[in-house]
Amino acid sequence: MFSLHILKIFLFVVLLAATALFVPRTWLPLSLQSRYAAWFGEPSYEPPPGSQKVAIQQAEPFCPDLHPEWRKKQEIEGVSIDESLACTPDNPWAIAAFVKGTNNVSMDTLMKSGLAADAVIMGEDKDGDGDPDAVTIKLEVVELNGRSPDIPEVIPAFFIAPGIQPGLWVFAPKIAGMATKNADTVEANEMLRAPSPVIRVEQGDTVQVVLENTHYFPHTIHFHGVDHPYSHHEGHGNDGVPEANELPVMPGESRAYEFSQLAQAAMHTGHGEVDPGKRRVFTLAPRHPGTMFYHCHVQPQHHIHMGLQGMFVVEENRPNNWVQTLNIGAGHVRHPSVAVREKYVREYDLHFQDIDSQLNDLIKSTNDPRVLEKRMNRQYNITKRSANYFLLNGHSFPYTFRDSLVVVEPNEKVKLRVLASGEDGVSLHPHGHKVKITHYDGVEHNPQAQITRDVIWLSMAQRVDLELNTTNDGLHGTGEGVWFLHDHKERAFTTDGMHPGGSASAIVYRSYLDHQGWPKLQGVDWSLFFTPQYYRREIPVWTTYDPTGMFGEPDTTTLRLGRFVLSGFLIGAFLGGFVVFQLLLRKRG
Amino acid sequence: MRWVVLFVCFLLMPVRISTAQRATEDVAPAGSGHEHHEHHGMQMDMDGMVMNENYDQLPRDCDKIAGEQTITVRAGRKYAQQFNGAIFAYDQHEWDVAPCTKVTVTLENEDMVRHQWMLHGLPRYLHPEGMFHVEVNGRGSKTGTFITPGAKKTYLVHCDVAQHMEKGMKAQLKVGGGSGNLPSIPGITAARYPETYAGATGGWKASVLLVLVLGLGLAVRGLRRWG
Repeated sequence: MFSLHILKIFLFVVLLAATALFVPRTWLPLSLQSRYAAWFGEPSYEPPPGSQKVAIQQAEPFCPDLHPEWRKKQEIEGVSIDESLACTPDNPWAIAAFVKGTNNVSMDTLMKSGLAADAVIMGEDKDGDGDPDAVTIKLEVVELNGRSPDIPEVIPAFFIAPGIQPGLWVFAPKIAGMATKNADTVEANEMLRAPSPVIRVEQGDTVQVVLENTHYFPHTIHFHGVDHPYSHHEGHGNDGVPEANELPVMPGESRAYEFSQLAQAAMHTGHGEVDPGKRRVFTLAPRHPGTMFYHCHVQPQHHIHMGLQGMFVVEENRPNNWVQTLNIGAGHVRHPSVAVREKYVREYDLHFQDIDSQLNDLIKSTNDPRVLEKRMNRQYNITKRSANYFLLNGHSFPYTFRDSLVVVEPNEKVKLRVLASGEDGVSLHPHGHKVKITHYDGVEHNPQAQITRDVIWLSMAQRVDLELNTTNDGLHGTGEGVWFLHDHKERAFTTDGMHPGGSASAIVYRSYLDHQGWPKLQGVDWSLFFTPQYYRREIPVWTTYDPTGMFGEPDTTTLRLGRFVLSGFLIGAFLGGFVVFQLLLRKRG
Repeated sequence: MRWVVLFVCFLLMPVRISTAQRATEDVAPAGSGHEHHEHHGMQMDMDGMVMNENYDQLPRDCDKIAGEQTITVRAGRKYAQQFNGAIFAYDQHEWDVAPCTKVTVTLENEDMVRHQWMLHGLPRYLHPEGMFHVEVNGRGSKTGTFITPGAKKTYLVHCDVAQHMEKGMKAQLKVGGGSGNLPSIPGITAARYPETYAGATGGWKASVLLVLVLGLGLAVRGLRRWG
C-alpha cells in the first residue's frame, strides 16, 4: 500500500517535469528565462514574425474640387467677391445674397444660393450713407449626424474628418428645400455645417436676429459681448438666459433678438412673458465694433458644446459699407468691410472649438427626446469631461486644409479674427511668423502696448484680433512656405489621440498652392490621413515613412498561435493522462 | 450641386405664372422690399415655395386626367401631442387619392418655423429627383398641384427640415389603394429601428436576468419530469 503511494507521487513528479518541458520559454518568469539558457544552453535562433500586411483603403481625394469656378474673383449682383484659393471655397451666390440681402437679389441668385427668400432681409438706408441700416437675420437650429428610426446611418451626414461624424447642433441660415444635398444622399446640404455661421453687421445698424427653433429641444441666443439691451422693446427678454431673462424658445416657435438704440429708449423691464406662438425678435444696434460671440444659453454646458455657438463681428461704421452678413463655415471673408480693407489685404475668421464625443454622440443613441433629455441633462456629467475632437471652423485636420488655410502673399497685412469657444482654451502658434494682438474681446489694445508673439493664449470664450504681417524680416515673417498654424496644446493636434489631427491648419503662401488650392507639400505622403482606417488606429503611423515595414506591426496571428495551441494541447493531454491514471489506480484499489 | 439640380428642374418644367402673393413678413424692418419671386416650375416668395408642380403633364401610364382632388394638411407641434416622444407632426399621416388625378395640396403651417409637405417617388421625367413639395416659411399656407400616376403605389411624404421626419413629420400618400405601408408613420406603423427604452437602470437588467434564470429552471424541471 505504502509503496503504491510512493509510486504515485513519483509518477506525478515525472509527469509534471515532462509537462514543464512543453511550456514555452516566454511563459516563464524573467528570472527563470535567464537560467533556462544556463541549464539547457542557448536556444537556437527563431525568426521573429514578419510585419503584418495592412490592406490600406483607397484614400479620399485630398481636394474633391467640386466647384473650381467658385474660386475666381467675381462680381454677382454688383457685389465684388474676392478670389478664394481654397479647395472648397464658399458659394459666391450665397455671399452675394448675404451682402445684398435675400430680398434684394434676383431669383436666379437666390436659387443658386440655396437660401430661403426671407433668410437675410436688408432694410432701408436711413442715414443716406450708401448702405442699409437695418437687417433681419433668420437662424434655424439644425441637428447634424442625428438618429433616424428608418436607417442605421446618421442623418444629415457631416464629417469633421475622414470617417468621423460627431453629433452636432448648429445655428444655420434659413435655407429653402432639403437638409441633404439631394434626394439620393444623406450628406448634409452645404449650408448646414459646423461651425454656426459668423454673423457680421455694421456698427449702429438696427439688427434683428430671429431664432426660428426648428429643433426638438428648447433654445435661446445669448449675444456675448455684443452691445444689446437687456429687454426687447416688446417686453420679452433679449439676453438669452432662461433663468434670468427670458423663456426659452420652444420647438416650432421663433423669437427675434434686437440690437437697437430705439429698443434701448423704449426698453421695458420685466420678464418677457410672451403669448405662445407669437413671433419674438431679438434686436440689437451695437454701438461698439469688434469680434464677439453668440451662443445658446439653455443648458449651456451641453448646448454650447453641441455646437450652438458662433462668432459675431460688428464692423466699424463707414459709408458704402455693405458687410457680408453671414460667413458659412467661417474662414476666408470674401467681401470684407470697408474698415477692414483700409488696413488689411485679407481677412480670415478662425473659430476653434472642442468636442467630447461622449456628449455629442448621445443624439445618436435615441430618437425619443425624453430619453435624450435624461441622458444629456442628468446622466452625462460635464465635470468628468475630456475633449477628444478639436475643430477649426467645423473641421479637423486634414479637412481643415480644404477650407481653412490662411492663404497669403508676401508683404501683406492680414487680419485674423480668432474665437476659442471650447472647454480647453487655445494656445495658438503660427510657424514661421510672429503676430500682433490688436484686440482682445472686441476691444482695441493700447496701440503703444500691443504685443507681438508666436503663442497666443485664448481663454474659454475669448476672442483676439491678430495682425499677420507677411514681410520677411526675420521677426514678423521668415519667408514663403507652408507654415503650420496650430493649437500648441498637443492633444488639440490630434483627433481622439491620433496625430496629425485636431484643429491644425496652415499659413500658406500663394506660390505654394497648386491649381486646386492644395499646398505643395514636401513631407510625407498624406494618403493615410485621408482614410477612416488611420483614425481608427488600424495603420502603423509610420507606414509610409519606410516601405520595408521597419515600423510595421508584427504578424502574430498565424505561426505563433499554432505553437501556443500545440503547447496547450500537450500540457492538457499530460495532465489529463495523469488524472485518468489516478482514477484507474483508485478503481483497482 | 443643389443649384445645378434646381437649374435642370427649371429647364424641364413648364413656366408657371402664379398670382402674386403679398408677403406678410411681420419682423422685417419697415420699408424692406417684399418681392415676389417667380421661376420656371416653381414659386418662391417670403412665405415659402412650391417646387416641381405639375398641373397639365400627363403621366405616361394615364390616358387622361380622371378627376381632381384637394388635400389640406395642417402641420405643427400641437399635432405631435398625441404621439409620445414626437415633437412635430401633421394632422393626418395618410391620404388616399385616385390614380391619374390632379391633386391640389394646401399646407397650413401652424408653427413659427419652416415646414414642408414633400412627396417622393414620382416619375422623374415629370419631377426632378421624383419630388414635389410645398414649403411654408413660418405661420401661413402654400398650395401646389401635381398629377398622380396610374399605378397603385404608396408614396413617402415628409418634412425634410433636419430631424422633422424623425420626430414625427412622416406620412404616406396612397394612390389607388397604395402598395402597403411605410415604416415609422406616427399612429400607423412601427419604427424600423424602434426604441428599446431599456438599459436605463441596473434594476431593469437584473430583473430580466432573474426571470431568465427562473424560466430556465422551470424548463429543466419540466423536461426532467416529462423524461
